[in-house]
Amino acid sequence: MGVGERAPGSEAEIVFELPVERGKVREFALAVAEDNPIHYYVEEARKRGLPDIVAPPTFTVTQMWQVSREERERRLGANLAYERVLHGEQEFFYQRLPVAGEVLTGRMRIASDISKQGRRGGVMRVVTYESVFTDASGAEVLRALYTLMELPPP
Amino acid sequence: MSVPSDLRLEDVFSGMELSEVVFGPVERADIVRYAGAAGDFNPIHIDDAYAQGAGAPTAFAMGMLPAGYLAHAVSDWFGGPQHLRRFRVRFLTRVWPGDEIVCWGRVDEVEGRFVKVRFEADRRGPGPRELELPEREPALSGDADVEPA
Repeated sequence: MGVGERAPGSEAEIVFELPVERGKVREFALAVAEDNPIHYYVEEARKRGLPDIVAPPTFTVTQMWQVSREERERRLGANLAYERVLHGEQEFFYQRLPVAGEVLTGRMRIASDISKQGRRGGVMRVVTYESVFTDASGAEVLRALYTLMELPPP
Repeated sequence: MSVPSDLRLEDVFSGMELSEVVFGPVERADIVRYAGAAGDFNPIHIDDAYAQGAGAPTAFAMGMLPAGYLAHAVSDWFGGPQHLRRFRVRFLTRVWPGDEIVCWGRVDEVEGRFVKVRFEADRRGPGPRELELPEREPALSGDADVEPA
């Protein structure tokens, strides 16, 4: 199945909000063992020319709070067999880091969907979701590519 | 743990080795804390019985936990996360409770203001006895573009 041949009724993209809150940024920074003060202390961030504390580079994975796997599957319709799905790759492109206090707008779509011969026979599917995050002015902040691999059925 | 270096562009050269940064050992509590912070409540990472039903000996870490450590290490090598322009990781094998995460890397190329870097995060530890894993193996590999001060 190529891109554009989605399940009937599926949508081209999901638009969602990602609030960047100080408490959530600190909680996430702690979870990835960050010790850089620009993730915790407003004064430290300002000393380095930032308007407020900034999110760690992988923070936007918290979009799972906004768009669950179930919703993504239902609305974008990739039809993945999740019992055979692995997270294969993750990539981010940064214009800047998200700043606490802003609300980003995310737009998620299926960027690519390819099938290839698996190494142990059978067909493996590789689906990449792209989420583009923009700020209140509409400028891009960062882009995330989330790549899932669906292994061939046993 | 580490702190951001004050490395500047003029200090960077291709082939430069980046100092090893070690995180962990990853405890169950770290996995649960990440699940809560990220919103990733896939039971395979927190519930042993569920993980066993899916063929794993115990619950194991979500890949984005060591990926977060690795992003932290890359940020610190180049003066902080503000200098990251692109960051990519591939997940090679699972990370188990008790594993340490050893991050290391090397500068590939310097192109104008941008530095291309390659890195790896190895899991180091016994792992679940049933799996007879090597004491140390690559768990994630990746590359990034950074723009140092």
